[in-house]
This record gives sequence, structure tokens and C-alpha cells, in this order.
Amino acid sequence: CLFPVLIDQLNTHWPMKVKLLLRNPQDYLRETADDIHKLARNPAPELHPMSAETEYVRALNAAKLERMFAKPFLGCFGDQGDQLSRVCMHPRALSLCLSGCVDGRVAFWNIPRRSRVLQLDAHSGCVQGLCWHPEQDLFYSCCDTDRTLKAWRVGDDLTEFSRPVSQRHLDFAPLNLDHHVSKDLFALSGDAVYLYDSRRSDPVGQWKWGSDSVLQARFNPTEWHLLAAVTKDNALLLIDTRQREPLRRIRCEFRQNALCWNPQEPFVLATASDDYNLYSWDARRLASPACVYRGHTNAAMDVDFAPTGRELVSASYDCTVRLWESGRSQSRDVYHTKRMYRVFAARYSLDARFIVTASADFNLRLWKARASEKLGALTPRERAAVNTAEALKQKYAHHPQVRRIVQHRHLPKRLYQAQLEMKAIRGKQRRKEVNRREHRGEDKEPFVPERDRHVRGVDE
Amino acid sequence: FQTTMDVAAEDSDQMPSGFHAKAAAKAARLRREAAKLASASALESPGGIESRPGEWAPTQSKLLRRVAVAARPGHFELSLQYGPYSVAYDTTGRLLALCGRGGHVAAFEWRQKRLMFESQVNEPCHALTWVGAGSTPQLAVAHSNWTYIYDAQGLELHCLKRLHKANKLFWLPRHWLLAACTDTGHLHWQDVSTGQTVASYCGHHGPLRVSALHPDSGCVLTGQPNGQLCIWTPLEKRPVVKMLCCPAGVRAVATAPAGHAVYTLGGDSRLRVWDIRCLRPLSVSDSGADAASIRLFDAAPQLAVSQRGLLACPVRQGAALMVLPAGGAKPLLSHPSPGRLSDLAFCPWEDVLAFGHARGLGSVLVPGSGEPNPDGAVHPLSGKRQRREAEVRGLLDKLPPETIAPPAVGGGVNAVDAEGIEEALARKRAAVMALPSDEVRQFQPRRRSGKASGELNRKVGERWQRRRMELRQLLKSKKRVLAEMGDEGADAAGGRKTKKAKKVSQSGELTKPATGTFLDRLIPKAD
Repeated sequence: CLFPVLIDQLNTHWPMKVKLLLRNPQDYLRETADDIHKLARNPAPELHPMSAETEYVRALNAAKLERMFAKPFLGCFGDQGDQLSRVCMHPRALSLCLSGCVDGRVAFWNIPRRSRVLQLDAHSGCVQGLCWHPEQDLFYSCCDTDRTLKAWRVGDDLTEFSRPVSQRHLDFAPLNLDHHVSKDLFALSGDAVYLYDSRRSDPVGQWKWGSDSVLQARFNPTEWHLLAAVTKDNALLLIDTRQREPLRRIRCEFRQNALCWNPQEPFVLATASDDYNLYSWDARRLASPACVYRGHTNAAMDVDFAPTGRELVSASYDCTVRLWESGRSQSRDVYHTKRMYRVFAARYSLDARFIVTASADFNLRLWKARASEKLGALTPRERAAVNTAEALKQKYAHHPQVRRIVQHRHLPKRLYQAQLEMKAIRGKQRRKEVNRREHRGEDKEPFVPERDRHVRGVDE
Repeated sequence: FQTTMDVAAEDSDQMPSGFHAKAAAKAARLRREAAKLASASALESPGGIESRPGEWAPTQSKLLRRVAVAARPGHFELSLQYGPYSVAYDTTGRLLALCGRGGHVAAFEWRQKRLMFESQVNEPCHALTWVGAGSTPQLAVAHSNWTYIYDAQGLELHCLKRLHKANKLFWLPRHWLLAACTDTGHLHWQDVSTGQTVASYCGHHGPLRVSALHPDSGCVLTGQPNGQLCIWTPLEKRPVVKMLCCPAGVRAVATAPAGHAVYTLGGDSRLRVWDIRCLRPLSVSDSGADAASIRLFDAAPQLAVSQRGLLACPVRQGAALMVLPAGGAKPLLSHPSPGRLSDLAFCPWEDVLAFGHARGLGSVLVPGSGEPNPDGAVHPLSGKRQRREAEVRGLLDKLPPETIAPPAVGGGVNAVDAEGIEEALARKRAAVMALPSDEVRQFQPRRRSGKASGELNRKVGERWQRRRMELRQLLKSKKRVLAEMGDEGADAAGGRKTKKAKKVSQSGELTKPATGTFLDRLIPKAD
């Protein structure tokens, strides 16, 4: 019940203790104009209701902002005049790359300026191979029409015309070229895989399996004796230079157009296949690919690993470039422009931030590897904000609204229709399989996982 | 402050399994550690009064003698002539606004007594609330017909004709929504940042004269004359929850600025405290004292709850106000009011209570009512730049109205989509089990005609006979597996009849409750 209020005059000898909440403004205001403002913090959950919903809204906004700022195309390198066949990044300098043309010209580009520094009339036919020496300012080029391998030294003043340092005539038509990561060896692929030492005129080693030509041979950057090669008869070869015969041959269903070793994982390699897929292989277990990367709607022409070993870029005959995360079969991003025609080469820059592509419309193009990345210096707060946004998107990645925004990419009509067509084809194949399994029985029509469908056999 | 997990952890039979109990215990431990850390780094400590047992509640003059001079601005009286006044503090606690039934609308910074604006609108004003973030203060005032929004200079910015005959206005800061309950029984939710009307409907529950906002979830609670407490959300045109909370009509509803406690004052003059998460009586104090033992005779229906759980109510037919401590029945302090009390509002982040009455308004010091440690820029001493930043962040983090849901109903962004998971599991099971469909089993090969058709038909028939036998064997073996898996597996694998339906009918009717009726909840325990 109630207690009426009375004035207390008898309690002066026993004063009651009263504490009132009084704030000192000095505790809340900054001392000088050079200081940052003080921010009060109380992590008690009672002061943060609906924190999960707020986080979700921030994740959604982060996803939307990422898409708003996703402008990956940085620029064109300028018209080369004829179809480009090869792109080769400098092994030590971030801003330099080489391109080879079908009319035999080799161009030396400054990537940030997207300008041509030097152009050489290297060969009379299509430049089939380009590679840099790992330490010296020397690069090699080879051509199948004139069957030559030329070594070029680029002078200090890059605008000067440089002559080939040496020229070697080959008795086969070379289709590709790769240099060892540290030794003075390079591998030429033609009718077989030839290992050349720069000091010797004859090949040091030769490997062949079958009668068809080898399209590309690449050295493993970590295992120095290991080579992988792709052949025209739909095979992938694994070669140890210490042995006379290739180690393994994996017979695939379709031709593998290009291959690339993972720079960080010694036993992983990726191939780009004519059946629109990329495959990543574990060299320890070659019975089936480790991952099948599906997304392209026409043949994959080139594949490259990022220097981090965690990402892949693929160039395709369907005029798109796709970026993938290692191990995930759906592409992370797809780049296309109206003017970009069949893409034949794609390379990561050394810092894994940029991609250079060469396409049949005579152009080299520069793209960002992270489409919504801000180029330039980030302040610490900007970096924190970017990291927070990334973490939020990952936390709510399964939410339908967030997933919808993060996954969606606009495609031009013909590419979108091609994608739908592929989806319809695959759907029909799956349905037919399911029906067959139902009618014929599981023993006659066993379930084959995706990974095991693409390899015909492994030969030793 | 308890949360659902804490409540559940105490009640171990509510935990579905040991895994859940362990998870709940771990979460509770982390929360305790976080609270300890927070309290260790806290800048301020809460206020309070330490008096000997049996001592009278202190008067304002007594308090003023014992506190610093800086506290004096918190105690003032304004004699105004324009009718019973309603008062409202903004979310930072810096600004105080008043509106009178005689048409007087004013706003001032109460600490410096700096007047922002004062005007006579020539219309009775019934309710008001500060709207928007603190950087550009705007005041929404419910006039007799429509609702107007004024800026810091008193200029009329908007006239919201949809908010017709509003008697209570609420501001939802996280959703940027202005909610209104009207005498016509309508509820309105207006987005103040985009100007869109999120929801506007008639509740069909009579005039909504008794209402409160639950700030943690954004729901509007209304008290009905039949003793029900209804919880409203913008997306549903019917109350999402209807809870019987008084045997007589509900005269007042109040919620704390944070937390899950809902105070209802019934026609039987009893104050009851409910937990909105489970819709059950809340035992507020550690000693387990039941707040339903508090009887407020002659209490006029305005209640205010402070950030630390202190409850202010008018007594003696509005001639005085009384402040009760959290969970207690003995008043902390009292104060006479020059006129009949019409509104009460605790100042956020400060130990101050403002009250409006028929002859003006006043402000009293209430030690221990304000939360000592704010978070972010929403506190009385934040600067202009910080408030602007906070406004921009608040707009970016604006929550969609779908997030307004009473905690009792469940759901939420991180809620597990149990139905979706069940469906996905069922589909997987069906795919794995892949029982041959009826069409396959009943397939009849077509009979061919022509030369050598007899032999062909016989061969095809034999083949299908063999296949049918195989399928029958397959079905039997898979059914055995399904039976082992359980009834759900059988259901999922193709909707086949199971014994489940039989079991339910055999188990009998639902067990009746052990004692009495659900009205037993209204009988006070300690009497």
C-alpha cells in the first residue's frame, strides 16, 4: 500500500547515502582538435537488441555494395593488329608482360600504362611459345612454321630494337615452350616433349606416348624433375626427367587444351578441356580429377593458377573469362565485354590482383581479379570495413537473399541462352540416367559420380 | 538480465538433449564473462539510495542537499496554462518536448534550459515523440485530427493525414518507423526515412487507448477492456499474440526501454509483470517476490519504466508520483504534483524523471534510474559530428519491417529453418532409397504385331516378369530398411501408408491439465 510523503527532520544524525549518476563531460569529449572523438562502448547485450538482424542487414548491404562496385574491366592494351596467341608474364617484374601474335610479332607491354613498349618481328609464322628466363633479362620464342627457337635479350633502354641473342633451328614443329623455374632447362612440345639445355644444341631428353603431338608441356615449379604435358589424343602425361619413359598417361574423353601447375601445392595441376570443363588433378591419384569446374559454354582454351594457389582463371572459346576458387566447381566470377571475342589466353599477375587476357579480337585486356576491389592505398579503417564486409558475407552466405545477390552475375543474352541450353542438356542427361536406373536396375546402371565420368583410363 | 537461453538452462527438462544443455551452459558462461569484462571497463557506476530500514522515502530537497550542484538542473518545475501536458525525451536524453491539450507545443534542452522552439498550434495535442536520429531532431505531435512533424525550429515539416486521431505515438529507432495507435482502432506504421507507409490497418479490437511499445522487438502492445494484451506487428492485420493478463480490463501497459519485462495494470488495481518471451509471469527480483502483490489503488493509468527497471506511477488520483524499485513494493521516492498527473517519462541515460500534469510539467531526480554506460553516440554528451555519423549508420543499418516479431513467436534471422531441413532430408532419403515408382512396377510392355511377334512378345513378357520379381524383392528389402529407420523415413520415401496414423488414434485424447483452468495464472500467489 501507499506511504504518504513526510518531511524528515529527525534523520539528520544518520544521513542517507545518495549517489546520483553525474557524467563528467571531460570523459566524453576529446581533449584537443587533433584527437579523434571518443566513443562510448558497452557490450552488454541489453543495449544491443536485434543484433542478429542488424548484422544480417549489414551483410545484405555488403553484398549489394560489392555488386555495385564490381567494375573489373580496367582497360584494353591497344590493338595488336592480328590475333594474339600467347601471353607471358615477367617472372620478377609486376608491370611487364609479353604477347605473341599469329603473324609472328612479339610485343612487350607495360601493364599499368597499358602501352606497348617494344615490338619485335620475331618470326614469320604464328608465335607458338613464349617464356622468360627466370633470372636473366632474356626471353625465348618459338614458331612452328619456321621451326626456330629464338632467345632475345631486352636492352636496358626498352625502346631500343633488340636482336635475338641466339637462334636454334629445330627438326620438329614446336607447339609450346616452357622454362624451368631455376635451372637452365626448357621444355619444347611438338611431336614429343623435348628437354633442352641452353648450353647444348641437342635435346637432353625426349618423351613420347603414342603418335600424336604434344600441345603443351609445363615444369612443376616445386618438384624440379616433374613435367606434365597434354597431347592431341586427349591425354595428360606425367613425366619425370630422370626416367626414360613417361610416368603416367591419363586418357580423357576430350582434348585438354592447356595445363598449369599449382604454384603453392606441388602435386596439383589444372587442365582446360574441350568439353567446356576445367579439371584439377592430384598427381598422387590420377584415376579421376580432384575437381571438375563447370560453367563455360564452350571449350576452355587456357587455364592459369593465381600465385596464391587458391584461385584459377580460365579463358574460353565462348568469349568469357571465368574465375574460380580452387576446389569449388562453380565459378566465382565471369568477365565478358561486347567486344571481346574468343579468349585464348589468360594470365594472373604476380600479385594475384590482375588478370591479362588475350583474345581473337586482336586485343589484350586488363582486369581486376577481385571485381569490387578498390585500387590504391586503403586507410586502416577502410581495410577494416572491407574485412568486416567480407566476414559478414561469409557468415550469412547461406541466407537466400544474400546468396541470391552474391551469386548473381549479369550475362549477355547469347551467353545466358547458352547457359540455359547447357542446363537443359545436362538435365535431360540426368533424367535419362535416372529413368534407366529405375527400369534396368542399379547393378546394370550404377550411379557414377561426376568426377569419374571424364577419365577413360590411366596407363602406367 | 536474463535471456531465453538462461531461462532454459535453469529448466533442464526444457532442453531437448545434453548437447543443447551444454551449448546453453557454454553460452551462459560466455555471457557472464562478457558482463564481467564490461563491468570491469565501465566508466560510470549506477546511482542509488542507501537508506536505513524504516526510513521515509527522501524528498527532492533532501536529495539535492546530498548531491553535487551539477545535479540541480534535473529538478525543475514549469507552471504552464495550456492543459494537461505530455512529455517526451529523445533517445539521447538531451532534449525534452512537451505538448498540452490546450495546443502548447515546445521543445528545449533541459540541462541548459535552452528553448528550441515554442508554439501554440490552436488544436488539442494528445501525444508526441521524437523522431529521427539525434542529429536533426524532429518532433511528431498527434493533434486532434492528424499528426504533424515539426523540426528543431518548430516549423511544420509534414502533416500525416493517415495518422488520424492518434492517441499514442511510438518511435522505432532501428526500423526508422513511426508507429501510432488511434482512437478509431487503427494502427499505423510509417517509415520516416523514405516516407512510405509500411502498414495501416484497422485492428478490429475497439479503440486502442492503452498501448505501449516493446523496444527490443518493435512490437506494439495494447491492452484491451476484456483483460487481453494484444501484440501487433506491421505485417499482420490481426494481433499476433493475445494473452489474458487481467481478470478485469487492462488500464495501463508499460515496457522497459530494454529487456523482456511487460508491466500491466489491471482493473483490479494489481500490477503484474510478464515475460514477453514466454508470456508468463516474470519473477523480477532475486528473492522471488511476486510483483502481482503490488496493488496500486487509485492509480491513474500512466506508467513509466526506466532503463534500470524502476517503475514510476501516479498515485492519489494523480496528485503525486511514486517510484518503485525494480522488483520491489516499497517506494524509492515520491513527489507531489501541482496538478493532476497526465504523463511520466524517464530520461534515458540520466537519473531524472519528467512528469506532465494539468498545470505544467516538472522534473525530479531519481537516483539509480538511468543506465550509466551508454554504447555508441546515443548519449547526452555526444557531439554533433558523432550524432551525424550515428544517423548515417542508423540509416544504413535500417532493419526491414519483417524483423518486427514478438519473441514468443520465434523465428528471426538466425532461426533454424527446421521445416526446410526436414524437407531436404526427406528428399535426400527418398532419392537414396529410390523405391521404384508404381508406374514402373505396373508397366506393361506393349504387344507387338506382325511376323515373329509371338516370339518377341513372349520374350519381352518374360523379361518384364523377371524384372517385376526383382523389383518386388527390392521393395521388400528397402521396406525393411525403412522400417528400421523409422516412420519418418517411410513417409519421406514416397508417402506410403504407415502405422503412424494408427498409433496416434490408439494413444487416446490429449491429457487434461492437472489443476484448474488457465485463469489460475491471475490468482496472486502471496496474499
